[in-house]
Amino acid sequence: MNASASDRFVIPIGPQHPALKEPGHFEFTVEGETVIDATVRLGYAHRGIEKGAEGRNWTQSLYLLERICGICSHIHSTAYVVGVEQMAEVEVPARAQAIRETIAELERIHSHMLWLGVAAHDAGFDSLFMYTWRDRETVMDLLEAISGNRVHYSANSLGGVKFDLSDETAAAILKGIDFLEERTRHYREVVSQDAFFLQRTRGVGTMTRQEALQLGVVGPTARASGVARDVRIDSPYIAYNEFPAHIQLLSAGDLEARFLVRIDEMLDCYRLIRELLARMPAGELAAKRMPRKLKPGEVISRVEAPRGELFYYIRSTGGEQPDRVKVRTPTLCNMGSVLTQTIGHNLADVPMILVGIDPCFSCNDRAVSVRRAGRAEGQPWSWADLRRYGIDFYRRQMGLETHALAKG
Amino acid sequence: MDIRMGIELPPRWRTALDRLRNWSLANSPWLVHYNSGSCNGCDIEILATLTPRYDLERLGIKLQGSPRHADVLVCTGPVTRQSRDRLRRIYEQMPEPKFVVAVGACSISGGAFRGCYNILGGVDEVIPVDVYVPGCAPRPEAIINGVAILLKKLQPDRATEIDRLLVEAVGDTAVLTEEEVGDDAYAEALGAR
Amino acid sequence: MTLTQKPLERVEALLEPWLTRTERPADNRLDIWLPADDLLPVVATLVEDEWGYLAAITGLDPGVATGELHVLYHFAEGAAVVTLRVAVPRDEAEVPTIRPLIPLAAIYEQELSEVLGVAIIGAPARGRLFLPDDWPAGVYPLRKDFQLEQLDDKEQGGS
Repeated sequence: MNASASDRFVIPIGPQHPALKEPGHFEFTVEGETVIDATVRLGYAHRGIEKGAEGRNWTQSLYLLERICGICSHIHSTAYVVGVEQMAEVEVPARAQAIRETIAELERIHSHMLWLGVAAHDAGFDSLFMYTWRDRETVMDLLEAISGNRVHYSANSLGGVKFDLSDETAAAILKGIDFLEERTRHYREVVSQDAFFLQRTRGVGTMTRQEALQLGVVGPTARASGVARDVRIDSPYIAYNEFPAHIQLLSAGDLEARFLVRIDEMLDCYRLIRELLARMPAGELAAKRMPRKLKPGEVISRVEAPRGELFYYIRSTGGEQPDRVKVRTPTLCNMGSVLTQTIGHNLADVPMILVGIDPCFSCNDRAVSVRRAGRAEGQPWSWADLRRYGIDFYRRQMGLETHALAKG
Repeated sequence: MDIRMGIELPPRWRTALDRLRNWSLANSPWLVHYNSGSCNGCDIEILATLTPRYDLERLGIKLQGSPRHADVLVCTGPVTRQSRDRLRRIYEQMPEPKFVVAVGACSISGGAFRGCYNILGGVDEVIPVDVYVPGCAPRPEAIINGVAILLKKLQPDRATEIDRLLVEAVGDTAVLTEEEVGDDAYAEALGAR
Repeated sequence: MTLTQKPLERVEALLEPWLTRTERPADNRLDIWLPADDLLPVVATLVEDEWGYLAAITGLDPGVATGELHVLYHFAEGAAVVTLRVAVPRDEAEVPTIRPLIPLAAIYEQELSEVLGVAIIGAPARGRLFLPDDWPAGVYPLRKDFQLEQLDDKEQGGS
């Protein structure tokens, strides 16, 4: 097909979109089926939290920052409390740190399962979506058993944690993760063996190690391209020194690798949680004293969120309120890679590439105005035209016999 | 709203058609979801209502993509300045009669983000809201109950039946007695008498 | 911490010519104050020798009285973090773009210019990415002298 200006059109996606949890707005310029340009507009969910934290005291800010994200809320509050405790020079009891890590790993399981379901949904594999979300309720129940809430557990407080892990809860967690581990192994088989699913993932959105380094991607997206970066291992925080995570690395760099890395991480989470529960340190749940005012200073706190490295910069000028809280979330790093990767791919692969970095995205909207050479400029195709075109196309391209389709 | 398509119908036909439309809407409301600046917490709980444990679809409720096909707008999150116009536009694109369910503390009042520079407040700052579902985040049962309150308002004579269905579906924790329904004019617009 | 000793020693050797004012706020951190003109050669050196990666760019308002804005470029390698600190005058805040060296920086620089009003020299002009389309020009929310009244609309719901 010759590329002329009339072959190009822009497809806007968002901010309202069925399975789109973050309201972003994308515009894809396509030539035929191929994406040749992509832009993004963020800011629909920009709430002004960094400024908001400056007007709240150290404790209030914890609850505000926890609500940056409802999926990885615990890791946001962990990044914040770790930073503030370091600035206040408060020693947090070992048991509190281990409980923090347990909840963080449970949260990683919930987040990855959520992602697996949404990604399967985007691939048109709704049975996997329903299965993962059914099984995900197990981990939601466990989080609720610990904290009393399914989202925003508020387990962290400045200087420790609010909830203890009783023996009954620990037993429930062990039982729950036994079930989940079995299911996860099944998903690993499905994702790596289902021929139809592999057509959507294998070799799609491939990012080499060099590209991943250059684009600065983080988290499972980077690890699927062989970039060995995991803050839990590189710069252990809370209890990761005593209970280390194992890095999960793959080198293929395509969507399949991103699925497998996340599933492998879930399997590592189960191992880690078993170790944590087996050797849970005894002791207090919170430090004896946490000052209301912090002396002037600044601190950098980096943690590994389910989506990748989360970066906090916290500055105090000696008051009861933070002077500056800077939050750099992993999706911000990965967003740029999406725009680069989609170029050259079919439009149909775009949702899968987007979901590959886990901003959770679906493409159900088909309100497309197709403009092509040979037709009156700007005249939209009707559904009948599109259907006829599709039938002709497959007949030509694939040599398929489509009488039944054409008749029906 | 105008299913008569410009044809003048006798009053008896109109009443019959209105009742038919009302019956079908209340039995199978289609939902559209918009996140006007939420933290995703409520959004994943809304998604969870569709999945096997809660399975909203067995009550005839369907979550779908286009505002033009929707009867009920389910809103999450506070309204940010950037999404204000989008929210309005989505609401305006929905055909009459239409209803709004605000899910979560933020969509009711702005919640934890109230006072932040990019926050206008709750959803009702921008569009009229019929049912408020409090919580941070509300449990899936609470969201289902919010939709059920709306359905009961639309079909008061079916209230007991809807309650029974709910208890069957998600257990008796989901049925609350207090209902908070916004503007009565909307019920009237429906002709629900 | 011995874990961070080696990367920090390496960066000190690499950036030898620019180490006029440094701080060690924590065991794993090295802060280097730079004039805005030195930013590009320093970043180029880090990129060339593959020392770490750009973790974030923080914009900081140290207070109206100082007459300055600070831009912090955080580079991380393992647990070690090197922060390049650039102070710019408040009423003429600008830094050169580093996106030719690090493409990822584009999105951070965009945020910096929108919320703190630090102009990015050499960056192509584009629309807003974070703040709303109808945000008034010249109002930067993360500056300390920002007031909600500057937004000048009646729809502000918060208290």
